[in-house]
Amino acid sequence: MRFGDLFQLSLENLWRTRLRSSLTTLGVVIGIGVLVSMVSFGTGIQKNVTEGFRESDLFTSMEVLPTEIDLEDVMSGNIEIPEGEIRPLGDEAVEAIRAIPGVEVAFPEVRFPVRIEFGEREARTHLRAIPSLMADYRPFTDLPHGRFFENDDEPSIILSQRFLRNVGIVVAEGLEGSGGDGGAAEGGEASAGEGEDEDELVAVPVDSILGREVEVVTSVLDASGLLQALTQGMSRATDMPLREETVTLTVIGIQPQLTGFGGSRFLGGVLVPTGTAEGIPRLGFTSIWEALGPSDDAGGYPSVYVRVKTMRDLETVREAVEEMGYGVVAIADQLEEFKRNFLIMDALLGAVGTVALIIASLGIINTMVTSILERTREIGIMKAIGGSEGDIRKIFFVEAATIGVLGGVFGLVLGWVVTRIANVFANHYLRPEGFAAVDFFFIPLWLIMGAIAFAVAVSLLAGVYPAVRAARVDPVQALRHD
Amino acid sequence: MTTILSTTDLTKTYYKGSIDIPVLRGVSLDVAEGEFVSVAGRSGSGKSTFLNLVGGLDTATGGRIVIHGAELSAMDRRELARHRRDTVGMVFQSFNLIQSRTALENVTLALAFGDHPRRDRRRRASEILTRVGLGDRLDHTPGELSGGEAQRVAIARALANAPDVLLADEPTGNLDSRTSDEIVSLLRRLRDDGDLTVIMVTHDEPMAASVSDRVLRLLDGRLVEETRAGEAP
Ligand SMILES: Nc1ncnc2c1ncn2[C@@H]1O[C@H](COP(=O)(O)OP(=O)(O)OP(=O)(O)O)[C@@H](O)[C@H]1O
Ligand SMILES: [Mg+2]
Repeated sequence: MRFGDLFQLSLENLWRTRLRSSLTTLGVVIGIGVLVSMVSFGTGIQKNVTEGFRESDLFTSMEVLPTEIDLEDVMSGNIEIPEGEIRPLGDEAVEAIRAIPGVEVAFPEVRFPVRIEFGEREARTHLRAIPSLMADYRPFTDLPHGRFFENDDEPSIILSQRFLRNVGIVVAEGLEGSGGDGGAAEGGEASAGEGEDEDELVAVPVDSILGREVEVVTSVLDASGLLQALTQGMSRATDMPLREETVTLTVIGIQPQLTGFGGSRFLGGVLVPTGTAEGIPRLGFTSIWEALGPSDDAGGYPSVYVRVKTMRDLETVREAVEEMGYGVVAIADQLEEFKRNFLIMDALLGAVGTVALIIASLGIINTMVTSILERTREIGIMKAIGGSEGDIRKIFFVEAATIGVLGGVFGLVLGWVVTRIANVFANHYLRPEGFAAVDFFFIPLWLIMGAIAFAVAVSLLAGVYPAVRAARVDPVQALRHD
Repeated sequence: MTTILSTTDLTKTYYKGSIDIPVLRGVSLDVAEGEFVSVAGRSGSGKSTFLNLVGGLDTATGGRIVIHGAELSAMDRRELARHRRDTVGMVFQSFNLIQSRTALENVTLALAFGDHPRRDRRRRASEILTRVGLGDRLDHTPGELSGGEAQRVAIARALANAPDVLLADEPTGNLDSRTSDEIVSLLRRLRDDGDLTVIMVTHDEPMAASVSDRVLRLLDGRLVEETRAGEAP
């Protein structure tokens, strides 16, 4: 018998018992639907996390610290700095790290607290020095507004959304170009009302933020005050020998919003090119480590950010840096563990779906066996008029496979619909405030193919026993008169 | 005259636990091409068993069946299926039509097993149905047909793949005498029209004698008596 005939015959048989066929198929649909939504949740989370990592620099960067670090301690949050083992991270060390093959960028962490006056408002934040070299790397390759630094000495600043919030401003999306003046006026109004409603945010078009000048205010030691303090003793806190210095910078860009996964360690404060940052007067130390460290480490940095070419360079560079006596922290260390955990998660999610599918396959077996009992006479007839055992087997097999294919396709559709709905809810309830929406589910091509193949495979498997049994029907018994 | 079917010392024994039920105890028979042979005998004498063996639906315990030069006991299950499809056509007392399919579809199903080209099937099926006198009932299901009409569909289906031998197991067992006569004369006409050999099992010896070339009788597992046409009234 030709395949077309087998197929037609199977479809006719399924149609004859359409209620039962559709209920059986529904079982497969639900099984595949569960499987697809489960696995797509696993792959979706995995995709989000790994892509978040890739977009950030977690797999291709490391932090060099002035001391050897025991990673276990860092992970358990119990950092003790062994005394006397601190190796200062000076400019020579940064140069030496840059010279290691595989290193693309290496620059020291320069970060200090500033007060920024924006129009008539002001807010405290941290200022971070970033070399213009970083223009080639995420997240600076596509700033949502404005541009990144073109050289290390331009008197520019890149603000963060959080800073803008702190001065009462949100970037007005879609208002761009609709008259920068009007926007500025609005901003002005907000500033005028300062003190009254600090929390009230005003939407301001990007045009009127970019190009604006801000005052960066830092505290420095006042030489005369210091002298005074030393002679009189620093008995009162208000008498701290500090003086304020102001530098004017132009806003050229706004940092992207934080995303749900990954992100970047550079986001959050305000950014200034390294050369410009050097020119901003400030206290001689940037952190308590520096302040408390041995006196001969003047100019030592708290850490150096190192970016390597590929993930593979990470290990060699790390070894070279550790040989120099410094500590290294790289998130990529956790990658293998991450992957293993995801595999386990996928397996667990897949197992739930598989169980659903196995139950569905029992439904197929049940339906097919019932159908054989009902159709024993028909099978006998088919044998009597020339149907071979192979023909009979194939008819029942194709019936089971048809249930599988239909169940697989509609199960896929069901899984897709379920994940779309679940995604809306997940984003509604799980997404932290201020984060961009993410897709918690991902249905890759292999899952589409795999789900249908799995449905067919399971149905065929479920069809084996009924098909063999149908083929074995004894025509003499089957045709004995009623 | 060529012999199309020949059985030699054919035996069939059913084994039920420790009890042997010998049904056929050595049936030897030669049937010539184009012959119309009837097999009579009491209920339980083994007529259906004999026909099922010749039809390849069942396998013999001993002896040989040679049909068209091929020995059935040497055939594997696939070859037996081909034998049922191409060499013999079977008709049963209870028609054994597929209830959900129309007269035409019952016949085309046989053609589908016979690997007939798809587009020829309808034409060929309606041709055969017309030949058995059902040209106007093609699209009726068995439930919508009378017994005689249903048996005609079964005969048409048996002839679909142009078999050499038609095996009819009490084809008139469920029919009234008038319809029985019609069916039997249809079988006779089909034999007369083409190169068909007919072996018919029946209770009704007078009717068998009126249409058959010879009537055989199964008694105690053996063929014991023969009536040649013309010998008996
Ligand atoms: N599977 C079986 N197991 C045991 N005995 C069987 C089996 N099949 C048939 N028989 C026996 O074989 C004998 C012959 O049966 P068969 O059906 O061939 O008789 P028959 O001549 O066709 O009778 P009828 O005229 O009633 O159709 C019967 O006695 C029956 O009980
Ligand atoms: Mg019988």
